[in-house]
Amino acid sequence: MKSSRTLGLVMIAPAAIMIVLFFLMPVVLTAVFSMTNMTTATGISGGVYQIAPNSLITLKSVMPEIAAELAEPRYTIDEAGLKAVESLGLAPAIAAELRAKHAGEVFATRREAERMIKDLAERPSTREVKQISEQFNRSVLNTRFDSKEQLFSSLDGLGFKLTPEQKETVAKTTYTGWTWTTDNFSRMTRSPDMARVLFNTVLYVALVLMLFNVGYALLLAIWTHYMPATPASIFRGIWLLPRITPVVIYVMLWKWLAWDSGFISILMGKFGYPPKNYLLDTAYNAWFFVVLINGFIGASMGMLVFSSAMQAIPKSQFYASEVDGASRWQQIRYIILPQMRWPILFVTCYQTLSLLASFNEILLATNGGPGNATEVWALSAYHTALRNYAGNLEYGLGAAMALVLVVIGVMLSLLYLRVFNYRTLVAKPLIED
Amino acid sequence: MAERSQPSANYSSWPVMAALTIVSLPLLLMYVYLFLDTVTIKQQDALLPSGLTLDHWRFLWQTTPGKANIWQVTVNTLLFAASTTSVVLIVSSMAGYVLSRLNVPARGFFLAGVMVLHAFPSVTLIIAIFIVLQMIGLYNSLIGVILVKAAIDLPLGIWLMKGFYDTVPWEIEMAGVVDGASRFRVWRSLVLPQVKPGIMALGLFSFLSGWGEFILPQVLAPGNQVQVLSVYLAGFLADDNNYDFNMFKAVGLFYLIPVLIAYALFNKYLMNIYGGGSKG
Repeated sequence: MKSSRTLGLVMIAPAAIMIVLFFLMPVVLTAVFSMTNMTTATGISGGVYQIAPNSLITLKSVMPEIAAELAEPRYTIDEAGLKAVESLGLAPAIAAELRAKHAGEVFATRREAERMIKDLAERPSTREVKQISEQFNRSVLNTRFDSKEQLFSSLDGLGFKLTPEQKETVAKTTYTGWTWTTDNFSRMTRSPDMARVLFNTVLYVALVLMLFNVGYALLLAIWTHYMPATPASIFRGIWLLPRITPVVIYVMLWKWLAWDSGFISILMGKFGYPPKNYLLDTAYNAWFFVVLINGFIGASMGMLVFSSAMQAIPKSQFYASEVDGASRWQQIRYIILPQMRWPILFVTCYQTLSLLASFNEILLATNGGPGNATEVWALSAYHTALRNYAGNLEYGLGAAMALVLVVIGVMLSLLYLRVFNYRTLVAKPLIED
Repeated sequence: MAERSQPSANYSSWPVMAALTIVSLPLLLMYVYLFLDTVTIKQQDALLPSGLTLDHWRFLWQTTPGKANIWQVTVNTLLFAASTTSVVLIVSSMAGYVLSRLNVPARGFFLAGVMVLHAFPSVTLIIAIFIVLQMIGLYNSLIGVILVKAAIDLPLGIWLMKGFYDTVPWEIEMAGVVDGASRFRVWRSLVLPQVKPGIMALGLFSFLSGWGEFILPQVLAPGNQVQVLSVYLAGFLADDNNYDFNMFKAVGLFYLIPVLIAYALFNKYLMNIYGGGSKG
């Protein structure tokens, strides 16, 4: 059916466009940006060539003579300078002679230029010599050039004798825009900070996952499973609150609990302890709260998955076991847990990825502190690229860090696809033709 | 879930309930005090309130210097959440139908791709998205964040809608086609009404997730003119010099009330999504 095919293409087009624009393109661009040294200083669009003091410092380490030469002004007898001399109101013969005899000449230093001016037929006074020479001062310092060609022609015009290689070096050091580099990756592997962040990430994911997303969620599901319907649904409702509450409010509530003017401080104050910021006073406390904050949210998904899996267990198995005199622990051990294997695997996999990439809660609660104690990989990428205390946002390095997560994300997603959705994928859905 | 019968009557459940109450205490405490503190006066180091007041709600009629106006921020949030929801609903109800029923080239590829993206944590792409939005000039505009947020919710939406379409019987479409309606017409007036629960669930989920979204607006639209409630509240929280928890809480409760109402009314729809779909 031709018409339904066209209709299909038209109807899927918006989704395809949005996914390409905001998923596939960012994935590709993350890889592209990670290969650049893009920062706030270089900007995100192309830069200009500017022989600024700081680029000269860089250049000095490679080519000291040329750097020194570039820093000095040059004196070029050009048309603009001649016009300026004419308008100084000196004897008109000076300008005329300069134009006739010296137009286009370049002098490396002020002394040389002034000697030439002194030797003119008109014999200008010393004051006038200074005035005239000033009109031809053509320093290359702090001039902006939009392209390499402009920079080179200007260098040639000012009489700098540079080989093409030297010119390229000058262009490279004076370029203010971003350039291609693999530096980000070597920085990542070398930096001890990154190693610390990596360790934090592994610890964070492991702790939250085991203690809450799986462990406590399973406990919640079992507890509510053995409860009358009404209290069970009330408790499930309570434990879903963290998930439906906007993250900013949720973290605010924890801060209220743990800050120095918060609930715990006031409560401990009744027993004579001075108030303190329990959230940030030591690294251990910060970790404790970070795990709790994320765990309380994470517990809900596991609880729902496990609860519905438990409901799918035939009731007859429970009744039979009770007739046989099984204790509740035996029921859990021999009936429930064996049948929870797939849901546990599913939750573990799914939450690993979510935890690896989530940093909202940590950002709002501790912002990686105290010190760098709770800085995890995703948060560190965010800090590097988008919210940096030093002020210079390192987009390139941040993108390289994000790329690590993107690669892990793609690989794990493909793995889940194979493990969990394989059957759904091969099942042929209703479709015409 | 409430109509579930008890697995066993042989065991008493009060010890379990007591244990659960104790571990739930932090949560209960936080949410109860969230409400209490916004309408009461409390001494500096007291645990219980000493009187009633509406003073903490003054942000509703006063604008804090240097901060955006609360009503403008609320309108922005509403606009953001509602636009995201409509884009997600429209786009994924179309794409889901195509993937469920129509034969398009690369269908299998698209299906697998959507599934991968569904599990993939898109927030890792935020640096690239930030740079792209700056390049194309949509940085600090609501439209940019809306498009990004909608795209991020899209894989879940497409996947969910496809699942709902798969359960609609073929005969409905057959009948429509035999009667001479076009395929588009059949989809719009016969099939779409059949998947209303799916649309409800997805719409509600999108709205709530848009309403609560923090990191995308924070990074992509932090300006005062386009600020949303999450960014506004985070701005209060980051301001260490003058924190007034009671006022934060009033703003927080103001921000939370729509969520609680929506959840109370429609939680059975939402359960489908929270159970397997969303991340966290």
